[in-house]
Amino acid sequence: MKSEQAKRKILVCCGPGCLAVGGREILEGLRSRIAAAGLDATVEPVIKGTGCHGLCEQGPMVRFLPEDISYCRVSLPDLDEIVEQTVRQQKVVERLLLVDALTGRRVKSQGENSFYKKQLKIALRNTGEINPLNIDDYLERDGYRALAKVLFEMDPETVIAEVEKSGLRGRGGAGFPTGLKWRQCARVDNSPKYVICNADEGDPGAFMDRGIIEGDPHSVIEGMVIGAYAIKAHRGFVYIRDEYALAVKTMLEAIRQAEARSYLGRNILGSGFDFSLEVVRGGGAFVCGESTALMASIEGRVGEPRAKYIRSVERGLWDQPTVLNNVETWANIPPIILRGGEWFSSIGTAKSKGTKVFSLVGKVKNTGLVEVPMGITLRELIFDIGGGILNDRKFKAVQTGGPSGGCIPAEMLDLEVDFDSLTAADSMMGSGGMIVMDERTCMVDTARYYIDFLTEESCGKCSPCREGLKRMREILNDICSGAGLPGDIELLEEIGGMVRECSLCGLGKTAPNPVLSTIKHFREEYDEHVHRKRCPAGICRPLTTFVIDGEACTGCGLCRKNCPAEAISGEPKEPHVIDQSRCTKCGNCIELCRFNAITVK
Amino acid sequence: MKIRINGIDCEAQPGEFILDVARRNNIYIPTLCHHDAFAGEARCRLCIVEVVERGRSRVVTSCVYPVAGEIEVATDTEKIRSLRKTLLMLLLARTPQNETIKKLAREYGVTEVARFESDPQEECILCNLCVRACEQLGAGAIYAVNRGVTKKVATLFEEPAEECIGCAACAAICPTGAIKVLEKEGKRIIWNREFEMVPCSNCGRPFATAEQLAFYRARLKVAPDRYGGDRLCENCRQKRAAELASLMSPARLR
Ligand SMILES: Cc1cc2nc3c(=O)[nH]c(=O)nc-3n(C[C@H](O)[C@H](O)[C@H](O)COP(=O)(O)O)c2cc1C
Ligand code: SF4
Repeated sequence: MKSEQAKRKILVCCGPGCLAVGGREILEGLRSRIAAAGLDATVEPVIKGTGCHGLCEQGPMVRFLPEDISYCRVSLPDLDEIVEQTVRQQKVVERLLLVDALTGRRVKSQGENSFYKKQLKIALRNTGEINPLNIDDYLERDGYRALAKVLFEMDPETVIAEVEKSGLRGRGGAGFPTGLKWRQCARVDNSPKYVICNADEGDPGAFMDRGIIEGDPHSVIEGMVIGAYAIKAHRGFVYIRDEYALAVKTMLEAIRQAEARSYLGRNILGSGFDFSLEVVRGGGAFVCGESTALMASIEGRVGEPRAKYIRSVERGLWDQPTVLNNVETWANIPPIILRGGEWFSSIGTAKSKGTKVFSLVGKVKNTGLVEVPMGITLRELIFDIGGGILNDRKFKAVQTGGPSGGCIPAEMLDLEVDFDSLTAADSMMGSGGMIVMDERTCMVDTARYYIDFLTEESCGKCSPCREGLKRMREILNDICSGAGLPGDIELLEEIGGMVRECSLCGLGKTAPNPVLSTIKHFREEYDEHVHRKRCPAGICRPLTTFVIDGEACTGCGLCRKNCPAEAISGEPKEPHVIDQSRCTKCGNCIELCRFNAITVK
Repeated sequence: MKIRINGIDCEAQPGEFILDVARRNNIYIPTLCHHDAFAGEARCRLCIVEVVERGRSRVVTSCVYPVAGEIEVATDTEKIRSLRKTLLMLLLARTPQNETIKKLAREYGVTEVARFESDPQEECILCNLCVRACEQLGAGAIYAVNRGVTKKVATLFEEPAEECIGCAACAAICPTGAIKVLEKEGKRIIWNREFEMVPCSNCGRPFATAEQLAFYRARLKVAPDRYGGDRLCENCRQKRAAELASLMSPARLR
């Protein structure tokens, strides 16, 4: 009895999403209340600060084990009730249970929620389940067993062969086969060699790598030691984006604990293998995530890319052979070693094996980090896991791959997501950003937004990217403000094609994607803007006129009361009208109207 | 090893860059940011060519693409010409009045870019050669400042630079003539700073700034009074070297 209770845990999500809505306060509050309630040592549950549970929209999340009860949107006033009902009496507080966005019913555990049902956690296997600051939690869940296996049962060649067999491809964007990268580096007869973890994550709104480091830093460390052993490197770096203060702290603490247990440092576990790991804080620019710029930045030089015809596996950091992999790539390594490459390659599609973590955001009901097998359809991701479109509006497109990804239209909802299918759809996997857009999204404006970001982030070293993006931005600004000229769409295609082909680094090579993919899939929307000076989505203000459909309007007055410009008038129960001279095209009315009576002229 | 460029067999060393092989074989590839004194940086990207390797064609930058196998290179295909045309259109939009860019753009059929607003004063295409020349000479007075679309070459805080020795190496290496040097009445003005020029002790023509000569002497550890304190311009120095050479020629020494 006692020992069972000793295992009881309360997991408070302290992932990025939940922290933002008060996860930390909930954690502290639960701790102090449980102490104050005199729940004495024998019944005292363990409270852990854990990483991301994934359902960020519903945070802060609290989970009770072993009962497996999950509460969402927990606030401070709920805590007394939680401690009394759930902790003391093991009763469920109904109103705090998660509502399944798909079925509309409250469910007790995460496993019953459709958000989690279709997920398969490999890279995120521990995130949200363990206390990242306690290495024992990681060890309890097979932590560092893969490392021991590698050090004592496998030679470097066998390790590489296993990773090759798994079919694992880099999760940082380009999808380069990881085993092959290691093999190429192992083959180079030159030392010292280095391994690097890319945790720069400069995409706006992305947080999967951060989630892993903050939630399960040891899986990254273990992966890196294994990689280092495979290529015979003795020094490694974790390059973490500067803004990620908590990730830096967590990683430093994890390194300290791993060193204390001899999973890092000299003569690891008595095997004779040495490996040390350092944290480097990023240069603060999006382009610093690019491999050559990242290495320049670690070396203390300006974070500008260089031509990559001589690859970093031969000449990388300080011109020495270097393996650079993404956070998620590294986190996949320990399970691959423990369970075998064959197991990993049984998941996914023909050419993309395993799972991928996506950050599902935008106009979907459930947002957050999700890990799904490669080959899942966009429809399953958005409608089953994501729970469908917010306010049950119409789905329009999903933007994948980060700022330089592309927009995939509704016709392609049944696309099976993997590296190659996304590229074929003029988008890319990128780091796994997935932004869902509804009918109130203007695709030209969307392209403009991303081009604007990329123009600001271009390092300016090479002329196609620097000059091309600048002019594409000008054209898009013109189009969105009503100054688009005939020929502009074709000019965008011409410049975009050249920038894609001629730029020096991956930033420039992919930067035209948002424009080219939206022109490809939504050309009529560009035509409307340029030739008919009209924004069909009602987003580009100079090109928008809202009108009220007198047939559909019930005269409820909601729009009139909420119009900040006082441009709407009408008697109750009578059709209303918009005074165009006052309307600022803010779109409040169209967002609010429950009768679809407001349309874009 | 042998590679083929535009159907011509060319001898190449492994690791040699395509551009160098092409130039040695008198095959023209346009460049702006390339200079023989420096390693290629692949900035301007005019030197793109098509490389066919194992049946697959791709566009590479010839100034930094090292020859590793038997490849087929085409420097002037329709695709390459069209890419260069778009690129030159953008460069012309950047520097609409620059003669070098105007001439290059004309070669690719671009004469005017009406679609974009341009700064008529702008002549720099950010090749970075001036910055590297200045670094190499040791003065390190100019930098690429800002990033991305706002990037430009300037002195620190755009003030007349303390470090600048007025040697004008930056202007000499600039492919578009964007760096202005004004010389008159024994003075040189460059990067907003005015320098006194020193006359040649032989012909009397002002030929270098005092700062420049002091800098070189300090760098070469030559005492100011060596060579009788002579300060010769390039012309006179060559003449004197030729005289010396003929004085010392084996025929005379015999
Ligand atoms: C502009 C740009 C930004 C990038 N940012 C990241 C990043 O933030 N994180 C990352 O892992 N890879 C990033 N990459 C990809 C890296 O260059 C590199 O391919 C990757 O880290 C290799 O690891 P992988 O094989 O495990 O994916 C970026 C690439 C480009 C061109
Ligand atoms: S493509 Fe853009 S970011 Fe990359 S080197 Fe060129 S200018 Fe810099």
